[in-house]
Amino acid sequence: MGELEPVFPFRAVLFQILFLLVAIALEAMVLRQKLRLGYQQSVQYATAINLLAVVVGWFTFLAVEPLVDPRLQAQVISYVLFDNLLNNTLKPQMGWIILVTGLIAFFMTLILKLKGLELIMRAIGTWDVPAQPKELTRTQRYARSRTGTTQYQQAASQFAIAVLQANALSFSAILLLLVVRAYILGGVT
Amino acid sequence: MIDVIRDAISQIRGLITPPRYLSWQTLLLLSLFSWLMATLAEVGGATPFTVTVLSTGSWLFLTVAIWWGLSLNPVMIGDISISPWITAAVICVFVFNPWTTERMQLAMGFWPVIATLLVAIPHFFHWNFDWTLPPASVRQDLIVLLLVNLLLSSWILFYFRVQHWFNDYPSLIAENLDNSAFVYRFGADTNNASQADLLLSSAATSLAQQLNDTPWPRVERWLLNLDNSIDSVADNIVLNAAKERVFWSLDAPRPQSLSNGYQLRLRANWLGPTAKQNGYYAEKVCTILPRTLQPRGSAEGQPEQPEQPAPTPVAQVTCSEETTEVERSA
Repeated sequence: MGELEPVFPFRAVLFQILFLLVAIALEAMVLRQKLRLGYQQSVQYATAINLLAVVVGWFTFLAVEPLVDPRLQAQVISYVLFDNLLNNTLKPQMGWIILVTGLIAFFMTLILKLKGLELIMRAIGTWDVPAQPKELTRTQRYARSRTGTTQYQQAASQFAIAVLQANALSFSAILLLLVVRAYILGGVT
Repeated sequence: MIDVIRDAISQIRGLITPPRYLSWQTLLLLSLFSWLMATLAEVGGATPFTVTVLSTGSWLFLTVAIWWGLSLNPVMIGDISISPWITAAVICVFVFNPWTTERMQLAMGFWPVIATLLVAIPHFFHWNFDWTLPPASVRQDLIVLLLVNLLLSSWILFYFRVQHWFNDYPSLIAENLDNSAFVYRFGADTNNASQADLLLSSAATSLAQQLNDTPWPRVERWLLNLDNSIDSVADNIVLNAAKERVFWSLDAPRPQSLSNGYQLRLRANWLGPTAKQNGYYAEKVCTILPRTLQPRGSAEGQPEQPEQPAPTPVAQVTCSEETTEVERSA
């Protein structure tokens, strides 16, 4: 590599910090309400899972970017450096590609946040969602046949729904910010 | 004046004189001693192995001394101690020592992670190296600290990825980056031009090679079949950055007739990412003129012999020096 250009990704850093703050605030709110956590604790959990998501996202991008189709790579460069899409043969499909990438990103972050939050809570020792034992007691089996679920399944699904809602809320907020930046402040053409 | 120097010296002595046997100053002195020995060994012509061992020892002592010293006197920016990053930088300089480009990038990428390890390790070991699990609150802080430093790593690696793009496709540097939501250029736009000039000069050389001194009828046929001919010119283009070739396409509009020859515009179309709305192209103007060769043996001033047939004219290509960049209109 030749000389280094004085071009730094400071705008990316600023936007990332802004989006992280928005996501952490919203997710902490949801986690606090749904999981009945303390205020400080929910902010810390939200910080940890969002940082985990962006770190995995960055490393995935850095690993995948050199491997994709050169036309797509050119589109990525065009978007990163010039905030527009390149008029090449891939342009008609870009809408689909962005949509599918966004969907994959949403579900991958959801899985990451679910597993990540569980691991973090286990590491700290605050994981209190009980695992379903092999053998249910008599009263538990009775309750299951009556309500259709067990208390363990309910606890697990409550946890998952809380993380899903948190993730959906933060994705929507960031998408809204991106749309505002692109169409109202004038940007993507 | 001398008092000031004496004061400074005594202050430095006070700072580096070990207060106890077990202190960071001892290690610093050991490191200096080891470095001195390594220098002596190198001058004295010892085996490379000895020099390596001594200088490695010097680095190790220095690293630990800095770590120890900074953990006693932390460097604070606001409420955050940046001492681990300083120590990690010293370690990175040492570990990734031959500073090639890739190793430097690796070192910069690993730097925040090593800093995190430096913070984390003391929490996991007692003074007698017994493994211990830190309390839950510390564990949580360490997880967040690790993730923050990994994020710093990704930013650094992303910076290098952008530099990589500029290296592969140098014409991108000439573009205006103001619209970007990711990168910011410090300093004014550089006077870097795109590679168009280089590409067209190379194409002009190739054109001259193909057409110079070829008989004029063949040149006219060449020009008639311009689309294929231009492809053969394009095949011989040499660029500084070979990868950028995919973003350029060479063509030429119909040549204009001059009174006796033709004017050909070599046009390089940029197909890659650009800040310009509809892209741009660059042009270089070449004139192709017929030139009559003096028949062999006829010197200047001598009248031409009428019995010899007129020799076939051959072509001569001259291209302008400058390249003009044109932004496409919609």
